[in-house]
Amino acid sequence: MHHYLISFLIFSPLVAAFVGLLIPAKSESSFRYLTLIANAFQITVLFFMLGSYENASALQFVEQQSWITIGLGTWGTLKATYFVGVDGLSFPLIILSVFIMCIATISSWTVKQNVKGYFILLLILNASIIGSFTALDFLLFYLFFEFMLLPMFFLIAIWGGPRREYASIKFFLYTLLGSIFILIVMIGLYVSVHDPSSSGTLVHTFNLLHMSEPVNFISNSILDPNNPWQIGPYNGRLWAFLLLFIGFAIKLPMVPLHTWLPDAHVEASTPISVILAALLLKIGGYGLARIAYPIFPEAALYFGWFVGLMGVISIIYGALNAMASKDLKRLIAYSSVSHMGFVLLGIASLTAEGVTGSVYQMFSHGIISAMLFLLAGVLYDRTHDRMINTYSGLSSKMKSYTTMVLIAFFASLGLPGFSGFIAEIMVFLGAFRSNSATGVLPESFAIISTLGLILGAAYYLWTLQRMFFGPFNIKGHISEDQIFDLTKREYIMLVPLAAATLCFGIFPQPMLSVIDPFARHLTEFVLTTGKNLTLNL
Amino acid sequence: MQSNITYSTFFEICLLLSVALPLASFIVSFAISEKYSWAVSITAPLLLLVSALSSSVVFFSLHDDQPFSIAWNWFVISGHPLTAGLLLNNLSATMLLVVTFISFLIHFYSIGYMAGDSSIRKYFAMLGLFTFSMLMIVLADNLLLLFVGWELVGFSSYMLIGHWKEKPAAARAAKKAFILNRIGDAGFLVGLMLLWTHQGSFALNQIGLTDAMAAWQTAASLCIFCGVVGKSAQFPLLTWLPDAMEGPTPVSALIHAATMVAAGVYLVIRTFALFTPIALDVVAVVGIITALIGAFAALGQYDIKKILAYSTISQLGLMVTALGAGASDAAFLHLFTHAFFKACLFLAAGAVIHALHHAQLQAHAHFDVQDVRNLGGLRKKLPVVFIVFILSGSSLAGLPFFSGFLSKDAILTALISWAGADFSWQWLVVGGAFTVTFLTVLYTFKMIWYIFFGSEKKTSELSISAPPAVMQVPLFTLALASLWIMVSWNPFVHTRWMNPAMEHSWSVTLFSIVWVIMALATAYFSREKSFYADVLFNAFYVDRLTDWMTKKIGLKVPAITITLDKKWIDGFIHATAYVQVLIAHVTGWIDRAFVDGTVNGMASFVRGVGSVTRTFQNGKIQLYIFWSIFTIIIFLIWTLL
Repeated sequence: MHHYLISFLIFSPLVAAFVGLLIPAKSESSFRYLTLIANAFQITVLFFMLGSYENASALQFVEQQSWITIGLGTWGTLKATYFVGVDGLSFPLIILSVFIMCIATISSWTVKQNVKGYFILLLILNASIIGSFTALDFLLFYLFFEFMLLPMFFLIAIWGGPRREYASIKFFLYTLLGSIFILIVMIGLYVSVHDPSSSGTLVHTFNLLHMSEPVNFISNSILDPNNPWQIGPYNGRLWAFLLLFIGFAIKLPMVPLHTWLPDAHVEASTPISVILAALLLKIGGYGLARIAYPIFPEAALYFGWFVGLMGVISIIYGALNAMASKDLKRLIAYSSVSHMGFVLLGIASLTAEGVTGSVYQMFSHGIISAMLFLLAGVLYDRTHDRMINTYSGLSSKMKSYTTMVLIAFFASLGLPGFSGFIAEIMVFLGAFRSNSATGVLPESFAIISTLGLILGAAYYLWTLQRMFFGPFNIKGHISEDQIFDLTKREYIMLVPLAAATLCFGIFPQPMLSVIDPFARHLTEFVLTTGKNLTLNL
Repeated sequence: MQSNITYSTFFEICLLLSVALPLASFIVSFAISEKYSWAVSITAPLLLLVSALSSSVVFFSLHDDQPFSIAWNWFVISGHPLTAGLLLNNLSATMLLVVTFISFLIHFYSIGYMAGDSSIRKYFAMLGLFTFSMLMIVLADNLLLLFVGWELVGFSSYMLIGHWKEKPAAARAAKKAFILNRIGDAGFLVGLMLLWTHQGSFALNQIGLTDAMAAWQTAASLCIFCGVVGKSAQFPLLTWLPDAMEGPTPVSALIHAATMVAAGVYLVIRTFALFTPIALDVVAVVGIITALIGAFAALGQYDIKKILAYSTISQLGLMVTALGAGASDAAFLHLFTHAFFKACLFLAAGAVIHALHHAQLQAHAHFDVQDVRNLGGLRKKLPVVFIVFILSGSSLAGLPFFSGFLSKDAILTALISWAGADFSWQWLVVGGAFTVTFLTVLYTFKMIWYIFFGSEKKTSELSISAPPAVMQVPLFTLALASLWIMVSWNPFVHTRWMNPAMEHSWSVTLFSIVWVIMALATAYFSREKSFYADVLFNAFYVDRLTDWMTKKIGLKVPAITITLDKKWIDGFIHATAYVQVLIAHVTGWIDRAFVDGTVNGMASFVRGVGSVTRTFQNGKIQLYIFWSIFTIIIFLIWTLL
């Protein structure tokens, strides 16, 4: 039973999608319940996993089946496996994904247009998200990673706002560009790495674990650490790291590769925004920690300061743009850019606390950004206007809504007691200690990043002041009876998220002890392996 | 969970109660349904009463005894366990008592003051949360937990300043307070990072164990002091405090006079071992600048609450100066006495505002009740408030037989001995401190004169009723706590209850008595004179400067980055997209003109050839014969040549 838990998680939505195909499009509510059943099944599976998960750095619930094996004569054998498993990096993200997808389903309840297509795409998206967080074979990962793009593109392009075509194409092209960079590195790695378990014959593998061991590189292959061959200033491995970094940074998104995000968010419908912010962005950070850092440790050390610098720039620049945003959803989107900067900074520090904080930040931002986008959606559902200047004094008409917004805003600006604080403080501590512990980042990075905290307070409180306080007033053609407080369905989505961010802020230890072994293993591995490998410059 | 066993279980339960009940009050206030919101004004003060009583048990069983500590594991940062623990010594036990006691009195007072408020639940809930987080600052055994409390008091202060959220000024003031505090907190955070990197621990009892002169300690202590500058409204982050007066007056009394703003001073005392001599000099200079700005600005105000706010800034500056002089005992003594008399002054001011406001509503009169120029002669209509105001005001002014005299004396004594015998810049600080004490008397008694003496101005038509008993009880309790007896039996020697080891010098005591009497005389003779000046009213334009800077930075820079985003980054992407489309058109044209052209050309060539050869076989026998003869001739010519 335990051996198939991950497969259950990945394939149950696909099975549901297939069942959905057989149901006639007229019975709209059956698609909603079908998706919800799939989510409920996933949650059950997740509880089984929670029950038997052990806090160790080793991979767990591992499944490995042979998938593609093609003999290529003198070129050796191509071997890709169905290889999945979870560890301290992926488990928090899996937990997050399962719950967020369930909330997204509830949030999609009001979708009216082409319900069948919508929910089937949602199920496919669900499977590919879980798949990319668990895959340990590069080809399998890439497959899921690319597969995510397709449903997302249609979900924005068909069910989005007025400028949905522009936004969806921008999203698609941006991400595709990143995928191509990742593809190049994948091919390079495929050519360079052999499977150590097959003695005698040459077997090329996509196994990520094999790729992270320098001894498995075929001597004088493109990405062999000992290959003196250079392209311009760097050798193949440094270039490969940079390509992977850019590929994942687009997804993260990192300034200046972020401009698809505000547009996609503004045009996407609420549940899609929730998935986009809470889950898809995390694949960027996940990819860095899972693929780029362990496979190219010496490049990670070499470019560490650059990764950190881009993190700092994202934090500040995202916050500044959030301040200048006039659209509530755009503001939240830019705040996501700012908060994902902490993920970069934490990973770059290569200290255990920094990496732990970085993973914790991904988890925590998943909860908080989901809440923020749901809240923006609540208002948009009522009035179809997201402009901050339209509203004033909303707190007198929407009391519970204001309370939820207060919780979400303060959680997002890193008030202690909420999960974001734990994540950010750990990233700060790690980034600051980095100079004396690993020498990757200068102290100034952490110090400059504290500016992000001040700006975060500024744009959120300014928004509160403008939209919620003061005398009640709405501009434009919105009538007063359009403004009403939270409905039961909205409570069902928001209250668990608020409780979760509070819970993980006050009692961080359970989640930290899941992440910590991974973080320590990664930092130790990258530092020792990275220092042993010679840089050919 | 680790604790030492010298204390009884009863003690531990009392400690737990005193900390947990304010939090319980927060939760209960939200749990009570809207319909029974009146119940909150019973439950909240009651819970706080029990909390205050148990904290007095804690205080009296611990005082002058061994420190007590208790800790739970909170979370582990990469192998370093971090505790959530309480550390009780004389200092924190005293502070615990002060906070719970004053908080209870404010809760009690609020029953009357806030009666009929539409969001009374939120009000009491936030007071509860504030008290809890303040206790977290007071009792935390490590700086990270303290920082948590530190930020949470900022949050509850934000909620309480903005309590009347329909008032735009309140919302603005709340935002400003939180953001200015955050600026200081960012510095505090850097201090935490320095501690983490160099010491690997946030525990308060580990601080200062390492080499005391290390450069990082100077940096760390100054960073922590940044947090103090924000929270205790020191120069240059002082402008939020006068604005914070937009909140309900009991809130101003509790948070913006007695406890939260004093938390900064408390933090420095708690981490005193970290402060290096250079850092202390900076602290002293910041303190005296703040004290002077506050005192002068208080002289130029007409709003009762603004006068008190600037006076608070000035007194806090005095405490910080004492800290800089290394006299943490004297600073704490002043913090202690100030908490009572300043809370009392605010509550008394609140009683005036409350009474006048009600009278105004009945008489349908409209004037600003907080403007002292509209008041006067109120000693007849509000005798109770008058007495209380005189008592606590005298304590603020530092008249003999009041607690304020003793604590100020302690500070002045410490400052003089710090300055040494030779003249140095330190004597400027001492001079500044004496100026501040002089000004304090001046503005306090001018305010009392304005409100209670002379003839009635706009209030003469109003029938004013005395404040209700729930408001009078806290007033009198706090007024009694402003007497010298709180500090010592002897009204001229401050070295009794708090810390017998403190310095005392009769010459300083005598001089300050003379000094205060001179100030009192000046106040009396200048009672009709206004000290109004634009520069004082605007507190030396610190506010305008910061506003101007935030407007410049806060609005201009984001405007630049957003255009960068739209124009340059997106512009670049649109340009590449455009170029791509252009190239596509070109290749499309090439496709049509050349590639298709070649293909089409081939086709038409073949067609041409075909149409020529087609004519060869048109079925006419003569032509066939002609072609065959022609071919033979060609063949013959070919072979023969």
